[in-house]
Amino acid sequence: MISVSKLLCDLDAEGDGLRYDAAGESTKRQIRDEKQRRPVVVWNVTKQCNLYCDHCYAAADTEIADGELSTAEGKALLDDLADYGAPVVLFSGGEPLVRNDLEELIAYANDVGVRPVLSTNGTLITAERAESLKAAGLKYAGVSVDGLPERNDDFRGLEGAFEGAVRGIENCLDAGLKTGLRYTITERNAADLEGVVDLLTDVGVDRFCFYHLDYGGRGTEIVDADLTPADRRTAVKRVCDMTREYHDEGEEIETLLVGNYADAAYLVEYAREHVGEAQARRVYEYLRVNGGDPTGERVADVDYQGNVHLTQFWQGYSLGNVRDRPFGDIWEDESNPLLRALRNRDAHLSGKCADCRYAEVCRGASRLRALTVEDDLFAPDPQCYLEDSEIDGPTPFGAGDEPTSAD
Amino acid sequence: MGEFDHEVDAPRGATSREWEVFVREATADPLTHVGSVSAPSADVAREQAASLFGRTAVALWLCPADETRRYQAEAATLGAGAAGEDATMSVAEMQSETLRGEDG
Repeated sequence: MISVSKLLCDLDAEGDGLRYDAAGESTKRQIRDEKQRRPVVVWNVTKQCNLYCDHCYAAADTEIADGELSTAEGKALLDDLADYGAPVVLFSGGEPLVRNDLEELIAYANDVGVRPVLSTNGTLITAERAESLKAAGLKYAGVSVDGLPERNDDFRGLEGAFEGAVRGIENCLDAGLKTGLRYTITERNAADLEGVVDLLTDVGVDRFCFYHLDYGGRGTEIVDADLTPADRRTAVKRVCDMTREYHDEGEEIETLLVGNYADAAYLVEYAREHVGEAQARRVYEYLRVNGGDPTGERVADVDYQGNVHLTQFWQGYSLGNVRDRPFGDIWEDESNPLLRALRNRDAHLSGKCADCRYAEVCRGASRLRALTVEDDLFAPDPQCYLEDSEIDGPTPFGAGDEPTSAD
Repeated sequence: MGEFDHEVDAPRGATSREWEVFVREATADPLTHVGSVSAPSADVAREQAASLFGRTAVALWLCPADETRRYQAEAATLGAGAAGEDATMSVAEMQSETLRGEDG
């Protein structure tokens, strides 16, 4: 995740320490004082969902699937994650709210010291469910909206899904929950982006997360609907421009880009052009500390059956199962040559990634997209939208050029 | 020595068959379990495993997860627990709850 609002507008957030090792300079209470050494874990608590979205990475369905972790197993998993030091568990699905024990699991995560956050389509969040999630100790709810009503409902396979999601957001905000938008940008909905942002700014959301499409689950079936590199660049520029505009107007909304670390390079270039060389240098250093694409390192996924994945989008391959071994043992097992190679990917990246001047802040972006499109684990990410002049040349700022107060 | 009488018999994979993957990185090395891939057939599983491990492996073995018996010396890592059906809404309940937000 790349915080546009932090990097371009200096907006402090709870994730600054976790993400950029910048807890000391943040005015916000921190999730972690040091940059994470253990992954944020996405837990797909169920495969069942009340919607049927075109881009669902989990290929969720309306029926309950065999083998979901029980409440007791889920609590044991949370103990396991706490013992290992996972800082955050993201309850996801399917639609996690179809589990009646969700609040019990959230409260348990809170008790054992793993920060519980939620990814939901919002359409099951009644006022009383929002209250119970807040009472259980939920720290954040991310609600997916993928366009204005017509396009969102078409994408999600249910008329009224947009209104339902907005009501869910309002119920969360009324309950005092930090609440944000999750928006996956594709060619089909890029035109709606500003309309959704305007509408949800008025609703009062705390955070916008803009996702690039990853090619997992049903996402592989709509690769043709993904943005062209030129359109992607336009969309990311628009996100940067909008973030600065609403911060200039006094709206302190945290804004993040997720799922394509070419954005890291673009943000440095953008800062250089629009905010100045000194800020660009700071942006680069934050992103260098952040460490580029987190697959297999700073993010992990446990699916509803306990299979461990390299990211939540990469469900077709599993490292092992938490019913067989503790999560930490699976995650630390570098006898697995794939895990080893991914964690040493700088040595394996090929094509334009091999000599890219932004390799340190991007690290090749999505290996899953490279694998899906090029059938080559270390080929360039097909979503890279950087221009040749941005890729070629020496590293933008020498390593160790720490940002100082003089910057 | 353990009796290996604790069986882990929960299913692995619902949309597609799951295949346990084993690789050997050099002919002198042991065959190592490296996880599993989801694939509808052995041929597709082979393609997927090869794209992930072909760079380093000299041998690749695949075994259908539903034909693999997993036994442990100690009790299951996550303890006992029935499948989670009771924890999850029925389809009818889920549908009646959808878009009920304005009533709450």
